[in-house]
Amino acid sequence: MNPIAFFEPLRPYIGVILSGLPTTLILTFGGFGIGLLIGPLLAFLEVYGPTWVSRIATAIEETIRGIPLLVILFLVFFGLPSIGIQLSPIASAIIAIGIRSFAYQSQIIRSAILSIPRGQWEAALSLGMSPVEAFINVIAPQAFRIAIPGLVNQFTIDLKDTSLAYAIGVAELFTQSVHVAQVILDYMPPLVFVALIYFVLTYSASLGAGFLYKKLSIPGLGGGQQA
Amino acid sequence: MTNDIVLRVENLWKSYGKLQVLRGVSFTVRRGEVKVIIGPSGSGKSTLLRCINLLVRPDKGRIELEGHEVFPRPSMSISKIRERIGFVFQQFNLFMHLTALDNVRIGLIKVKKMSKEEATKKAIEALRMVGIDESLWNKYPAQLSGGQQQRVAIARAIAMEPSIILMDEPTSALDPELVGEVLKVIEKLAKQRKTMLIVTHELDFALEAADEIMVLDHGVIVEKGTPEEILRHPKHERTRKFIERIARRTQI
Ligand SMILES: Nc1ncnc2c1ncn2[C@@H]1O[C@H](COP(=O)(O)OP(=O)(O)O)[C@@H](O)[C@H]1O
Ligand SMILES: [Mg+2]
Repeated sequence: MNPIAFFEPLRPYIGVILSGLPTTLILTFGGFGIGLLIGPLLAFLEVYGPTWVSRIATAIEETIRGIPLLVILFLVFFGLPSIGIQLSPIASAIIAIGIRSFAYQSQIIRSAILSIPRGQWEAALSLGMSPVEAFINVIAPQAFRIAIPGLVNQFTIDLKDTSLAYAIGVAELFTQSVHVAQVILDYMPPLVFVALIYFVLTYSASLGAGFLYKKLSIPGLGGGQQA
Repeated sequence: MTNDIVLRVENLWKSYGKLQVLRGVSFTVRRGEVKVIIGPSGSGKSTLLRCINLLVRPDKGRIELEGHEVFPRPSMSISKIRERIGFVFQQFNLFMHLTALDNVRIGLIKVKKMSKEEATKKAIEALRMVGIDESLWNKYPAQLSGGQQQRVAIARAIAMEPSIILMDEPTSALDPELVGEVLKVIEKLAKQRKTMLIVTHELDFALEAADEIMVLDHGVIVEKGTPEEILRHPKHERTRKFIERIARRTQI
């Protein structure tokens, strides 16, 4: 099959599809960013909080991880208005992706923290560091490096799942490609085209991550070795 | 004379659930003294050391550091107490994300609040003292041999200028050919009259460097005396058997 001929009917509409790209990026960075703000905090509470705080944090994390993103999205967009909170489709999508992302990010960071040998913590305390100083100077820098691959993976998942915002009418990449398909009465070219864009985006994220591993690489420690 | 006492442990008890690990341990360590603790595995040696710097909370008894109460009512913050007690672990526990130099520097900078230049000077001094030369200062722990790692860990402890250094089997995680270099460093510290409490089964080292050996068995100090007395003329049959067992193992 000749790719040029295949994409030929799409030519006048490429601009329409690409007009969804900024929205896709806003949803991705917005959602992942919310995750990055809340996820580590939740992980911290789960590991170090008093038992009841830790239990609540774990319950929140596990509940959210058990709900399909589409359900969260509908709850935020269609559900919240019934208690008086009306959000735009884009804001709803960012929040829904953010909610799901923080639950996964907290899991990634929690297991990174827990994978650090207890001796690191004990050595820090033995030097006279307070628990907070031990966390900041010893645990966090190691946990972060260990968590990088998982966090990057979550980023690519968030990126791909922004396409679910189609369901509430957000004009992101996927929505635009479906609109084009309905105009040209052929689904194949626009969907293959948009699939390629998602692939290029996630692939560049992985490349960027590889660069990050290398830059932060420390012999014998977590993420650094994969570079 | 009492202000000469760096560490005083009185009637220390610790249980894990039903298991009584320490059952009324008492002893003192004076300034410049090196005391060695020996005892079978599971006798409570690690628990005893970890109670002293409060990594483990004792159930009962009293601990004093240079006349200041450490337990049950700490007369200063727990981190201040730990700052004054050096601890060398069996598994070294160097910070994996820091170079050898930074491992020694971090306590000086973050805990003692020294300037970076001052801390660097002090850290280099400590690293030289344990025989870690410049080519290794920027290596990460994973790039060092076990013996090198343990020497860096010792440098990390002594750079803080603690009142006493506790060592928990500092050579038992090492390949046999690396034990000597670490013992040599500890002997050097002993010659400089650093106050130390060391759990070890290196009897030759104990004979050479210890002022006193204490034998811990089932959470009780069953005897103590000069290395000569304990190693050559143990009072208890159990002690004699235990010492023979280690001696055989180290000769082979
Ligand atoms: N955190 C803990 N929880 C329960 N039991 C422990 C704990 N730490 C040590 N023990 C038990 O206490 C006993 C003494 O341990 P330890 O002080 O490590 O002895 P040693 O260092 O002399 O080998 C052992 O039976 C050990 O299994
Ligand atoms: Mg032990």
